[in-house]
Amino acid sequence: MKGITLKYVCKRLLSALFTLWVALTFNFLLPRMMGGDPAEYLASQNAMGSAEYAQQIREQFGLDKGILEQYARYLGGLLQGDLGVSYTNFPIPVKDIILQAMPWTLLIVLISTLLSFLIAWLVGTVAALKKGSLFDNTVVGVSFYIQSVPYFLVAMLLVMGLGYHLNWFPMGHAMTPGADLANMGALVKNIAYHAFLPVLSLVIVSLAGRMIMMRSNILQVFSEDYIVLAQAKGLRRSKILTKYALRNAMLPSFTGLMLSLGQAVGGAIATEMIFSYPGIGLTIMNAVLSHDYPLVQGCFAIIALSVVLLNFLADLIYPLIDPRVSLE
Amino acid sequence: MDKKKQKKEKSDSYLVLEKYFLKNTRAKVGVGILVFFALVAIFAPVIAPYGPKDISFMPWEKPSLAHPLGVNSYGQDIFSQVVYGTQVTMVVGVLAGLLTSFIGVFVGLLAGYKGGRTGEILMRIVDVFLVVPTLAFMIVLAAFLPSMGIWNLVIIIGGLNWLWMARSIRSQTLSEARREYVDAAKVQGMGTLEIMFKEILPNIIPVVTANMVMVITSAMLTEATLSFLGLGDPTLISWGQMLSVAFDNNAILYNAWWWMLPPGLSIATLGFSFMLIGNSFLDIYANDRGGAVKL
Repeated sequence: MKGITLKYVCKRLLSALFTLWVALTFNFLLPRMMGGDPAEYLASQNAMGSAEYAQQIREQFGLDKGILEQYARYLGGLLQGDLGVSYTNFPIPVKDIILQAMPWTLLIVLISTLLSFLIAWLVGTVAALKKGSLFDNTVVGVSFYIQSVPYFLVAMLLVMGLGYHLNWFPMGHAMTPGADLANMGALVKNIAYHAFLPVLSLVIVSLAGRMIMMRSNILQVFSEDYIVLAQAKGLRRSKILTKYALRNAMLPSFTGLMLSLGQAVGGAIATEMIFSYPGIGLTIMNAVLSHDYPLVQGCFAIIALSVVLLNFLADLIYPLIDPRVSLE
Repeated sequence: MDKKKQKKEKSDSYLVLEKYFLKNTRAKVGVGILVFFALVAIFAPVIAPYGPKDISFMPWEKPSLAHPLGVNSYGQDIFSQVVYGTQVTMVVGVLAGLLTSFIGVFVGLLAGYKGGRTGEILMRIVDVFLVVPTLAFMIVLAAFLPSMGIWNLVIIIGGLNWLWMARSIRSQTLSEARREYVDAAKVQGMGTLEIMFKEILPNIIPVVTANMVMVITSAMLTEATLSFLGLGDPTLISWGQMLSVAFDNNAILYNAWWWMLPPGLSIATLGFSFMLIGNSFLDIYANDRGGAVKL
């Protein structure tokens, strides 16, 4: 525990809490700044614009109270894990809807992020070792191109080609409706079968940028003095790579891994939409379309929370694997 | 004497041009693609055989001589839509990218050169907002806005993207601020803003350009994503909007690759050209300064 001091942890924790507070306050203020009365909207949807119904909704959701009181209730509720009640799925609490959606998002986001980093580390390292070769040039060129392909286009093409046309994979959803929940083996297979295309589409697109990053990390490490020294000592190339270069080149991409895990939760939104995958992305989109404000806010709060949490973890782990960090 | 000096200066700027462009194949290819799309955008009414919203053909027609990219489910010519879509996608991308660059350069220069408490506070703010998940935030924002015109798109995308750029410009400014020419300017009695914009900025132009083309690419992709999610302006025809309409109208079930590939690959190709320019500039600049420059 050389690198970590109590002061460092406290500083990071404070910063994380502050970030979370900023995000949550925005989350609270946005719908109120934008105008538009959800109660009227719901009334026009469900009760032919009845003013009585709208008033009832306002009282029920506390929309008739002062803004500060609403803010206090909002923060207080959050602390107790209370995210309010969904307008459209009344009276199901937002928390329950999110708890049901979150595992699916985590499943595809975790697997695809890890896979893409693994492949990027491998291919990026090989490309860096063979700098200037045909392989290297192809990897870099193709990565540059793929980096600018909209990620939902890849998902659409995969659904069309492998899903609809060849019928190798299901076109959507997380598992077959009415699947036998008791049979664990079959269930896992069913879920993996459905997750394959979403994961593949996320891997393909995120791979490119990470590959370029890993390659340039390795190249940078190779230009450092201690590598030159190791070469001068006559160490074998494979030993230099595994013992000196690889570890140092991986360090920056470790932070990248944690950061992108957080961002990916929000980034998979279009993917989930295309595959009708019942995760947090599909939930927030449906909530946006049906003006279900508590659900939109709940989803954003959870996404923000997961990003801040992962960042905080990365901050804590980083000095352990790279003692230089806490010196700054 | 004067003449000689002038000649030397001329050759200096020519040398820069030569180094960054004439001898730089990647940048030349990138600029070539860029100019191509810009010309398409400018001359769209001349190039496109039909209006982008004309509904006058058989729906779902495959590519043919009359319709090089086929017809969509409404009976609109897809080639004409792609041509007109260039306008919206480029305008949103470039304007949002410029907005981002403006904020990013200003904050980065200020935080890097002034340092001290101002710089510290600015970077703290940047770090706090860097963690907020941008796309999810944009979706929430777009959801609560009453309507999403082209200006709202530009402001939302441009205004939320500058954080990384500010960081990059700041770290570059920090290392520039230690150079002799900055000291010389200080001795001459130049003001802070003057040094920032007249002395340091011209020296980090390659980094600024590299950053700028990256943020333009990401702005284009963000516009496409927002449009795809149904949060763009439905009255505009952009490449992202086309993909959104294609998805909503089950282009997948009609195997209508001719409706999805052209707008998608157009985005990718345009983004690719920006990437080529930015990365090659960065490499040359890094070589000059003897070391890697990170964005």
